[in-house]
Amino acid sequence: MLVQLAVSGLALGSMYGLVALGYHMTWATSRTLNFSQGHVVMVGAVVAYAAHVAGGWPLAAAVAVTLLAAAAFGLVVERIAVRPFFRAGSPVWLLATIALGIIVENVAMLAFGKDARAFPSALALKPVFVLGAGVYPQELLLPVVGVALMGATQLFYHRTFYGRQLKAVAWDSEAAGLMGIDVPRAVAVSYALSSVLAGVAGLLLAPLLNVSPTMGTLIGLKAFAVAIIGGLTSAAGIVVAGFLYGLVEALVAGYVSTGAREIVGFAVVIAMLIVRPWGLGGARPARRV
Amino acid sequence: MRRGLLTLLVIVALAALAGAPTAQPAPIKVGLAAAVSGGSAASGEAIKRGLQIAIDEVNARGGLLGGRKLELVVRDDEGNPQKGVTIARELVERERVAAVFGGLHTTVALAQVPVWHELATPYVGTWAAGTNITRNGKKPNFVFRVSANDDEVDKFLVRYAAERLKRGRPGLLLENTAWGQSNEAGLTKWFGERSVKAVGIEKFNWNDPDMSPQLLRLKQGGADVVMLVANAPEGAQVVKSKAKVGWDVPIVSHWGISGGRFAELTGELSEGVVFVQTYSFFGKQNARGEAVLKALRDRYGVKGPEDVTAPVGTANAYDALHLVALAIEQAKSTDGAKVRDALEELKAEYAGLIKTYKHPFTSEQHDALTERDYIMVVWKGGKIVPVQ
Repeated sequence: MLVQLAVSGLALGSMYGLVALGYHMTWATSRTLNFSQGHVVMVGAVVAYAAHVAGGWPLAAAVAVTLLAAAAFGLVVERIAVRPFFRAGSPVWLLATIALGIIVENVAMLAFGKDARAFPSALALKPVFVLGAGVYPQELLLPVVGVALMGATQLFYHRTFYGRQLKAVAWDSEAAGLMGIDVPRAVAVSYALSSVLAGVAGLLLAPLLNVSPTMGTLIGLKAFAVAIIGGLTSAAGIVVAGFLYGLVEALVAGYVSTGAREIVGFAVVIAMLIVRPWGLGGARPARRV
Repeated sequence: MRRGLLTLLVIVALAALAGAPTAQPAPIKVGLAAAVSGGSAASGEAIKRGLQIAIDEVNARGGLLGGRKLELVVRDDEGNPQKGVTIARELVERERVAAVFGGLHTTVALAQVPVWHELATPYVGTWAAGTNITRNGKKPNFVFRVSANDDEVDKFLVRYAAERLKRGRPGLLLENTAWGQSNEAGLTKWFGERSVKAVGIEKFNWNDPDMSPQLLRLKQGGADVVMLVANAPEGAQVVKSKAKVGWDVPIVSHWGISGGRFAELTGELSEGVVFVQTYSFFGKQNARGEAVLKALRDRYGVKGPEDVTAPVGTANAYDALHLVALAIEQAKSTDGAKVRDALEELKAEYAGLIKTYKHPFTSEQHDALTERDYIMVVWKGGKIVPVQ
């Protein structure tokens, strides 16, 4: 039972981490967040469904279209829900991104319907048994792809020229601007990348969760909890927090009660905000005088 | 003189023409208040089809009360209780309907109960199964139902698990909503009658991705049958998680998994899951079943029983309309109170689609269908077929 719970928990946890990493990316470059991150997960799944299942496209083409759609959505969010308010120094971007998410959800309901649809995958048909615990191969794929992508984003930040530019913006956007880095573009790119991560999560989760307009809401919320626990400024902290959150969630549901699961998860968030608001991996911010 | 005669003739002819419509007696309107848009639109459409097919049969026989034709007025409740109350008033006060038929949502039906009472208009539920809709404590009670009733369903499911499957250690798996709660009470009560106690009661939320913790807890508790109260998406997650934890246990389910796309979502894992229905268009049909299937084919392009979406809605609505038609005839009036009284004291026997109704309602019993009339069906090859 322990192994069973752990496997399920870690699989979901890797997806929380992946989506949460998206929060981290935009936070780092612009100190803003896309609160409709959960809806991007849904967009990823719905677009993949439309292309692959309904449209009959080959999987590779469907994946490419899905990633493009997610990136485009990220750019739209940044352009119309964040940039106008961010420039004015107003925190209205918070509400604007939520509003955009609700709009997308309702558009999906109109275009796609409210019924959950199946996303067939050879990896989610028959469970395999590992150490006596059943698991769908797709669930094993989640942490593999998740960790690989998390690693790739770190490589991008540290090893590529453009990645370093983004990092410079994250460090000090004013100075980066003075050094000739196009800061607004860097912010837009971070939004696109952040949405791609969520889109990938949607793609990977579709065969396990089924595809529906409301599928991403709870994941987006839990990923936000993970980002807070891990520390919005710390990619590593978020990755660890994602796995921990998934694991604790599964163990609480299995050994305490399924009703206690959400209570424990979000109670930890509040406790974290009080005790260590910069998160597990974040550095205590220096006080500017 | 000639000219005057001509004018007179024209006037007479015009008068005759103008008078022609009044020679046809005014139609009797009946209402449908159900969700005909949004996620539950399929249920509303199924009910509408059942009502319309029955209305056409009544009208083809010459209508009611000496040639008055029945006419259906449809209003959308959008699954929203407030909207349900608004359209209930509109149907009675503006459209002057003689009776109203109801839709899928228990919450809407419950909100409307006081309205039917206040406006003295009989209401016949054709889907929503909430126990308190008909057992609402009103006297006289204007709310009737030709559908399932949660309490009766629970009794039926418990009997199936205990007598047919011979299981004595049930695990309850319910959605965390008012509907789940009402069935928790019902299942506990009817298992209690047999001195059986559930070994575990587990809940899940809508959109929960993984049900293995709940199933593992029930398995650890030693459950030998899972009693499931879920809609299609969550029911599908239960079935998938059950395969994952490698637990071979029968699932006995309420009818929520018949809506949506349970078979599509679960593939071959749906095989063998049993659940309750009021009617199935599969297998040998009585004369009415044949007629309804033919009408569905001719009018709505339904190819066969596997193509009937939300079959219980059509079947329940069809019988409900005929029962109301008989009550209007017996009352010799469309007055709400008189039709209500006639429904409770229906003298004519009605050989219907689901069963033969003899005195279907009494002052105490406002559910025409009880657990004796339900059938158990099973998913087989993606289709719903009756359990033999």
